[in-house]
Amino acid sequence: MNDAHFGERAALYALGALDGAESAALEAHLRVCAACAKLVGEAERDIDTIASLQTRRQAPQELTKRIERLLAPPPPQRMLWPRFAAIAAAFLIGVLPSAYLWERNRAMQDAVLSESAAMDRLAATAHHTASFRSSSGALAANVMYPPDGSWYVIVVRGASHALQVAWMHDGQQTMLGDTVPHGRVAMLYLPKSHRMEQLALMDGPRIVALAQLPY
Amino acid sequence: MARAPGDEEALAVAFAAHERWAFSRAYREYASLLYSVAYNVLHNGEDAQDCVADAIARVWRSPSAYSSERGSVRSFLVVCVRNEAISRQRSQNRRARLEERLAAMPVEHQELEAGDPIERDRVRSAFAKLPQDQRAALQLAFYDGKTHTEIAAELNAPLGTIKSRISLGLRKIAAILGSEGGDR
Repeated sequence: MNDAHFGERAALYALGALDGAESAALEAHLRVCAACAKLVGEAERDIDTIASLQTRRQAPQELTKRIERLLAPPPPQRMLWPRFAAIAAAFLIGVLPSAYLWERNRAMQDAVLSESAAMDRLAATAHHTASFRSSSGALAANVMYPPDGSWYVIVVRGASHALQVAWMHDGQQTMLGDTVPHGRVAMLYLPKSHRMEQLALMDGPRIVALAQLPY
Repeated sequence: MARAPGDEEALAVAFAAHERWAFSRAYREYASLLYSVAYNVLHNGEDAQDCVADAIARVWRSPSAYSSERGSVRSFLVVCVRNEAISRQRSQNRRARLEERLAAMPVEHQELEAGDPIERDRVRSAFAKLPQDQRAALQLAFYDGKTHTEIAAELNAPLGTIKSRISLGLRKIAAILGSEGGDR
């Protein structure tokens, strides 16, 4: 039996009478040597025989609870996907509508301010009025503007949905904005710094009406 | 409660396989024994509880600590707890207090703590049957938790001799107690 094996040290190991380093080295050997495991097992039974004859005490409940907690199966791992799904659902249910309403509220506020500014301009400033002409004739729309071209108010009646306003110049279209519906009337207020000779009402890429603006 | 040999084997196999139920069952069956083993070394309830809990935790977290070649799960756990208790006793430097307690006791050695007078006499009688040199070495190892190096120094004997004395003494005393048919 070489030094790697326990030999007489089995009893010392089982008694706890070896130094820490030697004990650790033997424990490593014990994991790979069945013969020494058997030898140590015999020494352990001898220790057990003597230890069992000592005073017996009831194990405290507190200790039993500690061991039960130690050996309890781990709680099921929370899956990331349900958590992500919950966050996504909360986002869809709560955040998006809130954002939509906030955006809508902001748009309405802008529209009210825009309307207020337009009314102020129309009441306070001398202005021209030009009509949009459409091929179908179903649309009634006007544009009011001052001689200096510093602002434009476009009012559309009878449109089922918002139309876009474009400045037609030099063979090009420059999109200026969307008319904002208010009941049966849609309106757009455009503060500008230059004169625009021709405006178009667009329904997507299609021109539905044109207005000539004389100054 | 006596258990069928088949149960013992099944428990050993499951314990070696690190199955949770085997650990729970082993603890439930040996709880009082393990606590007593720790208490008899540390002489303090709280320390004994910590000791048992730490020893069980260490075994639980070391799946390869026990192999079925080792035999009895019970004996394995007893030794684990006892060695943990001895280690604590050493590291916390409680020996002086322990010796004070021992000195205050009206008996020569701690083995007389055995609760049942009959069992106490059995242990005392078994130790008495050992040759004096083996008895002294084994008592220092078992009851005082001393290392073989310390025992060799205390008994002024070579390390190899001490190893032999302890090994032989342990086998003899277990054989004496076992042959007397004690019920563990």
